[in-house]
Amino acid sequence: MTDQKTVITLLCERAADVDGICDKAGNCTTVDGLKVVKLPCSGMVQPLMIEGAFKAGASGVIVTGCQIGDCYYREGNRMIRERLLGERTPGLKKTVERRRVLALWLSRLQRGKFEAEAKEFVAYIKGLEPLAAAPAAAPKPAPAAKPAAPAVAPSEDKKEDAKAAIESKPTAETTPADADKAAEAKVDAATTSGDKPAEEKKAEESKAEEKKD
Amino acid sequence: MKTNIWTQIFLVTEDLLNKISTSKYNPLYYHGALPQFIMYILFLSGLLLFAYYVPTIDNAYFSKNLVNAYTSVAYITNDIPFGAVIRAVHRYAGDAMVVAILIHMVRVWFTDRYRQYRWVQWESGIVLLLMVLFIGQTGYYLIWDERSLLLTRMTVSALEVVPVIGEPLRNWFLNGRTISNLTLSNFLFIHIGLSFSLLFALWIHYVRMSRPVITPPPALNYILMTIIFAVVYFFPITATKIADLNSQPTSMDIDVFFLLPYAVLGALGTTGFWISMILITAALCLIPYPFTNKKPVESAEVVDSKCTGCSFCFKDCPFQAIEMVPAPAGSRFKLLATVKPYRCSGCGVCVGACAFDAIDLPNLLDSDVNEKIKQLANSQSA
Ligand code: HEM
Ligand code: SF4
Ligand code: SF4
Repeated sequence: MTDQKTVITLLCERAADVDGICDKAGNCTTVDGLKVVKLPCSGMVQPLMIEGAFKAGASGVIVTGCQIGDCYYREGNRMIRERLLGERTPGLKKTVERRRVLALWLSRLQRGKFEAEAKEFVAYIKGLEPLAAAPAAAPKPAPAAKPAAPAVAPSEDKKEDAKAAIESKPTAETTPADADKAAEAKVDAATTSGDKPAEEKKAEESKAEEKKD
Repeated sequence: MKTNIWTQIFLVTEDLLNKISTSKYNPLYYHGALPQFIMYILFLSGLLLFAYYVPTIDNAYFSKNLVNAYTSVAYITNDIPFGAVIRAVHRYAGDAMVVAILIHMVRVWFTDRYRQYRWVQWESGIVLLLMVLFIGQTGYYLIWDERSLLLTRMTVSALEVVPVIGEPLRNWFLNGRTISNLTLSNFLFIHIGLSFSLLFALWIHYVRMSRPVITPPPALNYILMTIIFAVVYFFPITATKIADLNSQPTSMDIDVFFLLPYAVLGALGTTGFWISMILITAALCLIPYPFTNKKPVESAEVVDSKCTGCSFCFKDCPFQAIEMVPAPAGSRFKLLATVKPYRCSGCGVCVGACAFDAIDLPNLLDSDVNEKIKQLANSQSA
């Protein structure tokens, strides 16, 4: 199941309108291997969902919300953006390869843009070596940092559509100020901040469940 | 998700603006922050005017060299360095405030951000709008030119017809039975007192929003200031004639932003005026309610047994809909998240914030989402 190259899109139902290019089940008809799961808001995306997608065999994940600043629910897209950047807990686990996660912030009218970006990303993912079955496998270290660029920084001017692409760069430290600057373009996610508290709490949780049983 | 034509108007405009200014500087994404910023301009320019303004209609001790509201305004305009500029900034910023508020209001309305769990914002918004409009009117009384006199008399005529409390209302408004030296102190008090009361009304406006966006980026502020200064430069405030209590001015220039109610009053008479004002206000207040509450929000639910009291959902909820309460006796944790259903928008941000699957949208369980992800990830790509 590892070489199917499925890319899962976690999409806000108010962001880029994909109804014309997707069937009910969530298969995108114009981009090969692209699947779409709709949510009321991109803010509902849990990092666990992204991890789950990789665990289930997806080879890439796109998170799509509305333009930053236009969230119908005020702050949803900012929240998931900060989670992906590691500025807000809970964040993505270190074990998730950052270059396989793409964030797009596109308004309802920007379906064309969505299609183009998604196509490029799927092609990029297809070019990567297949993920090992267990997502626990360590992320590709340093070399991933630059090669990822084409997928996340396509030709058109990047500033226009505020997107954060999350790529692998395990040593990067992203300060809030940096992140602010990088808002419109690609961003190296800090992979360290944000994870620890969540994991500690996870330990608590399992204890909690023991107790319940 | 269907969008209607009204939402579409804003989507198209905003897309255009995003192309020009990027989303970070899109003025429509600061629809609430802009009126807030203009309010600070008004506070500051108003403070400077206040320093030299004399709220009387006459001053017997200086009757040779008359010092009253009108002459103090003239003094500010003609003798204080940049006084005319400050005065014009104050006036045009007031106009800009109304424009900004109307854009804000229309945007939240057209993009469906005004009802259900947002009703407090809408209703307090109406109060803010009425306050701002009234503050603007009182500003025009303060100048004490012929228009001020006419406005005052018209207001008195409208107040006097109010049943039962008409007379006390008039006496309160004039600070006595007739226009006197004390009248303008009351006008000044209303003008400034209500302005500061805006802060209280804004607090209510914001109480159900976490982290309201109240500061536009500096770049937008500079552009706004430039526009205001350009208007000040090209349309300086023209001199008017001092109010004379013995005269009967009958016509005046109408400031379309603040003085329209007086046009209504002039056209419809006092009864028609009150009826139309009450109807308009009631209609505005009712906008969130009609008949249109399509589907009720299904609010998020906490799975008590899983909640660890970590407060992440509480911090991230955009609508202040989650409260952390002491956990029930016997729990291992100190706190428990609880959702206030009447505040909840059903957005699911709390689901995204919870690392323990302890909070759920009843109509879209995250277990279902995960199931769907799994199934799609596994399905053969065509
Ligand atoms: C002094 C005038 C006003 C100021 C300074 C102001 C400011 C704001 C601000 C800063 C927000 C938060 C926006 C955000 O962060 O998402 C907001 C939201 C809101 N305002 Fe106002 N407002 C004013 C008047 C009004 C008026 C006249 C109305 C309508 C009658 C109104 C209706 C609303 C509504 C419904 C929201 C919620 C929008 C949302 O949740 O996205 N406001 N306002
Ligand atoms: S995020 Fe989850 S575990 Fe933490 S307080 Fe909220 S519901 Fe409870
Ligand atoms: S769904 Fe959750 S985050 Fe959204 S308003 Fe309701 S309680 Fe708050």
